[in-house]
Amino acid sequence: MSTANKNLPASPGPTAPPKNPNQHMRRNPPIAGEAEAIGKAQAGDGVAFATLYALHKRRVYSLCLRMLGNVAEAEDLTQEAFLQLHRKIGTFRGDSAFSTWLHRLAVNVVLMHLRKKGLPQVSLEETLEPSQQDGQRKDIGARDLTLSGSIDRVTLERAVENLPPGYRLVFVLHDVEGYEHNEIASMLDCSIGNSKSQLHKARMKLRDLLRSGQRAEPADL
Amino acid sequence: MDARKKENGSLSMSCAEFQERLPELFESGTDFSNDPHLAACENCSALVRDLRYIAQQAKLLLPIHDPSPAVWENIQSALKKEPSGA
Repeated sequence: MSTANKNLPASPGPTAPPKNPNQHMRRNPPIAGEAEAIGKAQAGDGVAFATLYALHKRRVYSLCLRMLGNVAEAEDLTQEAFLQLHRKIGTFRGDSAFSTWLHRLAVNVVLMHLRKKGLPQVSLEETLEPSQQDGQRKDIGARDLTLSGSIDRVTLERAVENLPPGYRLVFVLHDVEGYEHNEIASMLDCSIGNSKSQLHKARMKLRDLLRSGQRAEPADL
Repeated sequence: MDARKKENGSLSMSCAEFQERLPELFESGTDFSNDPHLAACENCSALVRDLRYIAQQAKLLLPIHDPSPAVWENIQSALKKEPSGA
C-alpha cells in the first residue's frame, strides 16, 4: 500500500517547535500540520513521512532512551519504531491522538526488544519483585535532607538512568509518559497492583539516589 | 481535631505503618493536609513531600534529546530496501 520509500528527502526537515514547558507532553494535542502529513504519509508521500519523523523523533527517542538507558539501543529502536510506523501508518484511524498512537507503538517496540533480549526487566514476575533492598525499605529516622525545590532536570534524568530497569520502566511510563496503571499493567502483562507497587518503589529508590547524590560530589551521582 | 484523628485511626500509627500505606494513599489521591500522623511526624512529612516532588518533576522531563542524524539516514536506507506497495 505505502510507497513512502520513494521520494524521501535527504533531510527530515525542521524539528517540531518547542512545546510549552509548563505543559506535560504525554497526551499531546494535535500538532499544526500533523493531520495533513498523516494523510499524505498514509498515501505514500515520503516528504510527509519525513515531516512526521521531524515532528516526533525527539519524543520517541527520549522515550526509548529513558526506557533503555542506552544511547545506541535507543537509536536502534527509534529507527525500528519509525520503520514500523511506516509499515503501519495506514492502519491509523484517528481513534486516539496520533502522538498517543505512535508512542504506544514505540513503547511496544522497546518492550518487544527487551523481551527478545530475555532480560529480567520484562519478565514481570522478576521485574516487579526486585530485591527488597531497592526502594522497599522504610524511611524511618532519615530526616537529614529533603529534596523539595532542589533538584534540577539533569540531576533527575541521571537518577532515573540509575534506577533498576524494572523500576525505570514503570516510572517512565507512569510519571514521565503519563500512562495509567491499567495501561501499564496491560503493556507489561502484570497486575495493576504490581504497577502501583513498582511505581512507589521506584520513587522511593529515586529519592535515595537523589539524596545520596546531594551528599556526594555532583559528579558521583 | 481529636475526633477526626480517631476517625481515621492514624493517631497512633507508626511510621512503618504509615509508609506501608503510602502507595495506596498516593494512588487514591488522598489529601494529606489533615493527616494526623504527618502533623506529628517530620520524617514522614518530608518523605511525602519528596515523593510528590519527584512525581511532579518527572512530569516536567521534556523530551530534549534528539537522535543522531544517522537514525534518519538508516531509516531512509531501510525504506529504500523495503518492497513498495507493501
